[in-house]
This record gives sequence, structure tokens and C-alpha cells, in this order.
Amino acid sequence: MDLPGPFPVGRYARKLEEEMKKRARVQLMGEVTGVGRSKKQAFFELRDREGAVPCTMWLDDFERSKLPEGALRDGAELVVAGGPDYYRGGSQASPSFSFRATHMRLAGEGDLLAQLEALRKQLQREGLFELQKQLRRPRLPKTIGVVTAETGAARRDLLAGLARRGWAGTVVWGFAPVQDRRAAPAIAAAIQELAARPEVEAIVVTRGGGSLADLWAFCDETLCRTVALLRVPVISAVGHERDSTLIDDVAAVACSTPTHAAEAAVPLDCLAARRDLQRAAASLRRSGEGAVEARARHLGALARGPARALQRQRSHLNQKIREIRAASERGLAERTGFQRRIATVVLRRAQQRAVERAAAGRAEERRRGAAIERSAERALQRRRQVLERIALTLRAHDPERTLERGYALAESAAGEPVTTASAAAAAGAVRLRFADGRVRAEIEGDVERET
Amino acid sequence: MSEKPESYESAVERLEEIIDRLDSGQAGLRETLELCCEGRELVNYCAAELDAVGEGLKELKLDELAAKLDSQAA
Repeated sequence: MDLPGPFPVGRYARKLEEEMKKRARVQLMGEVTGVGRSKKQAFFELRDREGAVPCTMWLDDFERSKLPEGALRDGAELVVAGGPDYYRGGSQASPSFSFRATHMRLAGEGDLLAQLEALRKQLQREGLFELQKQLRRPRLPKTIGVVTAETGAARRDLLAGLARRGWAGTVVWGFAPVQDRRAAPAIAAAIQELAARPEVEAIVVTRGGGSLADLWAFCDETLCRTVALLRVPVISAVGHERDSTLIDDVAAVACSTPTHAAEAAVPLDCLAARRDLQRAAASLRRSGEGAVEARARHLGALARGPARALQRQRSHLNQKIREIRAASERGLAERTGFQRRIATVVLRRAQQRAVERAAAGRAEERRRGAAIERSAERALQRRRQVLERIALTLRAHDPERTLERGYALAESAAGEPVTTASAAAAAGAVRLRFADGRVRAEIEGDVERET
Repeated sequence: MSEKPESYESAVERLEEIIDRLDSGQAGLRETLELCCEGRELVNYCAAELDAVGEGLKELKLDELAAKLDSQAA
């Protein structure tokens, strides 16, 4: 080994003590744990997420710091001023290292805010604020997870908010401390456990108001990173409206109160939704029935259409018929009058013509009467001459005339002419008629045939 | 419509579309009847969803939930 020494350890320890005391005096901020006291000094650890430093403070200095009674307690956020100190111990006493605090005060908003702001910028740069906000939040979750303190107003307020929503699904409680250095890991663990349950659709993280120091767990970097990367939407409602914790930035929704968180977790107002649904159902029913009824009415109207048109045509026709009848009656009356006038004229003329014809007739008759008389006379004469001729002819053919010329007529006893020799022979006797009378004659001998 | 809606909100969204369409009076008879039928199914679905969160608040603790799930699995 090619190193200086070996030196006596006591000398080295003294040298170390001197070196430590030369180090720059600074202020440290962290959460107090393990507070204890001896006769001369107070001791505690100051720690945050990354590490811790053992601290000591002379009681005189502590008194001068004028902290409120009980302020130096586990979980308090403190700012201490001082520098590193090494107690070199001795032959009997154990050595120790500590941060020798000469001044002490409670961490103020300013201290925390400065720290918070740095962390906020860091997470924002990494894009962790946006991840949760891109998640779909169901409007009507059936199961929600809630991380909060088992006792406290936040739990009660959240339940009241859910009840006002008309929501009565399932709440899975992930109870966790919400203040002090154990809070952040416990909250992160609860959130992760809830998110691992498939039925949990949203997670609410809530606690009541307090100082920023009280709410400091919700600014925890690990917790906030856990929330940012979660696939289940987280609704934060930490502190009051004026408080702004880092979890608010990374959560899907940041609410000012647990009541608001209830509304964000169940966006749907179930009471209103039930009313809306009834209205929608009624509207559908109306639309369905209405559509059929309206069309049935329309169809009915259409069906009546032809009948109405027919009726219209019929009325129209009847009207025309009435008009025609009226017109024809008027026309008839006029025509009758006209015809009557015509007829009167015609009759008068006819009468006149008849009278004239009668007069003419009479003259003609008289003329014809004379002619007739003349022609009748001539006809009579002609007939008389014809008669005379006929009489002469008749006389020429009259058997009586023949008889006068010496012929006789053979007659039977009954007066019938006997015209053949046979008949005369058969009769045995005939009567011979002469112009001046009859004689009986006996037939003798047979018939002598003419040759 | 026979497919189950994706979620309550998608069902309500579709239902609002249907009612808007019906209110417009532009849907024919067949479309109206089909929309009414679809709408009724959506209303039933939504009513069932609302009923599921209307029968009384159930509160579980994480460890109770774990025990319940374990017993169901067993």
C-alpha cells in the first residue's frame, strides 16, 4: 500500500472534526422523525424521499428558535440551519456524525412551494400531466375505488355526494394514512391495489383541507408518478380549493372537495338520467305509435280521396244537371211561347188556305159535277148500245129462237135436255119441245149411228 | 339492432340520435319502426345499467374484496 500514514486515529478524528466545522453552513428541509432529547440537546432525523441526515441541536439554540409548543414532532416539515459536525468521541465515548442545527423553523409554504414547483416542472417536462387526462372516464361506473382516511369528513362527504347523484353502486375503500411520511407510500399502494381490480372503473383520492405541509404526502414524487402511469382514471380531491398539490396535476380530474369528486367519479346524474330515460321511452313510444297512426290517418284520407273526388264530381254533375234543367225549362218556356206563336200563325194560314181550298174545291166540284153528269150520260148511252148488242147476240143464241126456226129440243120427263141418241133410246120416251109447246114422243128402234 | 351497446354513454348517444331523427319527422315508416325498436332496446339497456347502481350502496374494503374474489375463485 502506497498511502500516507499510518496516523494515530485520535489525531485523525480531531482533524476530521476540524474539517467538518469548516464546511459551509446551509439550510436543510425535510420531515422530522425520531425526535429525542437529552439533558443538553435535542436530536432527530430530517428526511425526505431521497435520504436522511441525523440532526442535533443544543437546547439553548432550540429555545432561541421559539418554535411553537410541540412543533418538533415526528412528521413535521422543518427547515434547519447549521452545518455538519463530527463528534470525535474519546477513549470511552462513541464518535458520531450529525448536522449541528443552530436555527430551526417550521417549513413555510414558500419553502414547500419552491420545492413543489421544481418537481411540478420536472413532471410536466416528462409529459406526466397528460397521461391520465387522456383516459376515458365512464359516465356510469358500477364500481369505484376510494383512497382516503378511514375516519374523517372526506369519506362522509364523498358518500353524500354519491347519494345526491342517485348513485348506489359499489365502493371499494382503500384506507390509508393521509398525512405524514408514511402516507405517500400507503396511498400509492392502495391506488395500485384498486387499479389491479378489473371491476374498479375509477379511483378517487381524497382528504380534507390542511396546510401544504399537511398535504405534503400528495406532492410525493413517487406517488405522483404512480398515479400518472395508472390506466384507471384517478380523481383527486385533496385539501380545499386554494390548495394545489402535485397529485392534482397528474390526476385525470382535480376537484376541490370530496363532494365534487363524487360528481367527477360518477359524471352521470343518475336521478336525472332516470327521468331522461323515461322521457326517451315515452318519446319512442309516441314516435312509434304516432308514425303508425299518422300514416293510418293519411292512408284513410287517401282511401277517402277517391270517394271525395267522386262525391265532388257527383255534386258538380248534379249542379250541372240542375243548371241544364233550369236552362232547358227556361228554353222550353221560351220555345213553347215561340212555337205557340208560330203555331198560331201557321194555323191561321192553314185555316185561310183551307178556306181558299174549300172555295176552290166547291167550284171544281161544280165543274166536275157537270162533267160527271155528262160522262154518266155518255156511259149510259154506251152501255145501252152494248146491251142492245148483247141482247141481239143473246137472241141469236136463244134456243127459243132456234126452236122458232124449226128445231125441237128433246127433254126428259123431268124437263132435263136429252142430248144423245143413246139417252133417248134408254129413256124410251122423251118430250119434244117446240117453239109453241111440248109433245110426248115414243122412241122406237135402236140407235142408228151416224157414219 | 342486436349488438349490446359498448357503454352507457354510447347507448345514450345513439338514443339521442334516434330521438332527434324521429323528431325530425323525416324517417319513413319502416325506418321509424326500426328506430323505435332499436331505441327500446337501448332504453332497456340503459335502465338495466341504472338499476345496477340503484339497488343500494355496497361498500367493500380492499382486503374484503380480495377475500371475496378468492372465495369466488375457490
